[in-house]
Amino acid sequence: MSRVGEGQPTRPVPEPDGAELEALLARCAAGDRAGLEALYARVAPLLLAVLLRMLKRRDAAEDALQDVFVSVWQRARQFDPIRGRPLAWLVSMARYRAIDLQRAARPAVALTELTGLESQLPSEEALDAGEMLGTGALLRRCLEQIAAPQRRCLLLAYQEGLTHSEIARAVNEPLGTVKSWVRRSLLALRRCLES
Amino acid sequence: MNYEQAELLDRLAAEYALGTLRGRARRRFERLCSQSAAARRALHRWEDHWTQLSSRLPPVQPAARVWSNVSRQLFGETSAAPRATRRRGWRLAAAAGLVAVALIVGLIVRELAPPRLQTLAVLGTDSTHPVWRLERRTPLTALTIEVVGAVPPATGKSYELWALPRGGAPVSLGLLPAGGHAERKLSEPQRAALLAADKVAVSVEPLGGSPTGSPTGPIVIVTNVAAPG
Repeated sequence: MSRVGEGQPTRPVPEPDGAELEALLARCAAGDRAGLEALYARVAPLLLAVLLRMLKRRDAAEDALQDVFVSVWQRARQFDPIRGRPLAWLVSMARYRAIDLQRAARPAVALTELTGLESQLPSEEALDAGEMLGTGALLRRCLEQIAAPQRRCLLLAYQEGLTHSEIARAVNEPLGTVKSWVRRSLLALRRCLES
Repeated sequence: MNYEQAELLDRLAAEYALGTLRGRARRRFERLCSQSAAARRALHRWEDHWTQLSSRLPPVQPAARVWSNVSRQLFGETSAAPRATRRRGWRLAAAAGLVAVALIVGLIVRELAPPRLQTLAVLGTDSTHPVWRLERRTPLTALTIEVVGAVPPATGKSYELWALPRGGAPVSLGLLPAGGHAERKLSEPQRAALLAADKVAVSVEPLGGSPTGSPTGPIVIVTNVAAPG
């Protein structure tokens, strides 16, 4: 059973282009298998990175990736181009799959495992260095306006897929505090994103 | 929708996208999304924002077995390495789909045409509203397309017809008429694609048709074609 980090990082690829992904999804919707294969080549490595961060185990993440692409094929016709952002559709599908799998399999994650994650957490330095986000990205600017402990809760939830109670244990704060931090940070984030 | 409702919707969407909305509340929000366009819009806004955080992760190359398993699971191709599986959950996950799009469905039509002109398919907005009837000549040299119902309005767009050959890329069979009757001679590639096709599809394209030779707009109809008689 391999752990995070053993996966061979591939060379950096530019963020997939929305129009390209949209065209590939349209081919999937039309039943073109080669379209699915091209889409897989384009985004599977990114989706696996997302899944690995959330599920922590390579085998579980690859199983989830398989599920995601089966769903992509079956649901490609539901992708609404008016909605835009095909990458957001794909990444969300992967994240939600991981969340559902955690729900089934995870009351079991031990505290030690969670604290063991600390070393892999996105540090504020990384965030500030713009490693996680492109410089100038709106989300990055808005996250920077949120106090560090609260921001860390959001990142633990989004990137590691932790629940409120898991976050509370990871940051050693009461559950109620974490819940209200998350709620208020999301409000602040929305005000910033919309301004 | 009043302000408080909009606020609540946005809060739920934010926590759903973030992943902190769990359990029954999560399922309830999924049901809400299948009914409410406002809920979907709120969710999509948050998904779009958050995706910026994922899109810069260093990619990790999946093992080769993942693609072969996908391909085997979907298309029954057998070259894959075996995987001990738990296959059940994904159907539910797929069924709980967030995007409730009123898909326009095609209907299968069995052969009922006179000998020289066989109905290939009837393309419709649902099983009771046929829009176009496709007929083929025997031998297959041309298609006739007849408008048999109200064509859904598509201002500034064209409807394009595609043959979907098994295992191959879609091949355009040209634009669908907005009214009346059209006869379309088939080129050799179109003929070959249609002979290998078990389905045809209709996409919405820029006026004049797809600029790329592949479908670029939403696919609004996919339907089986009748076996050649």
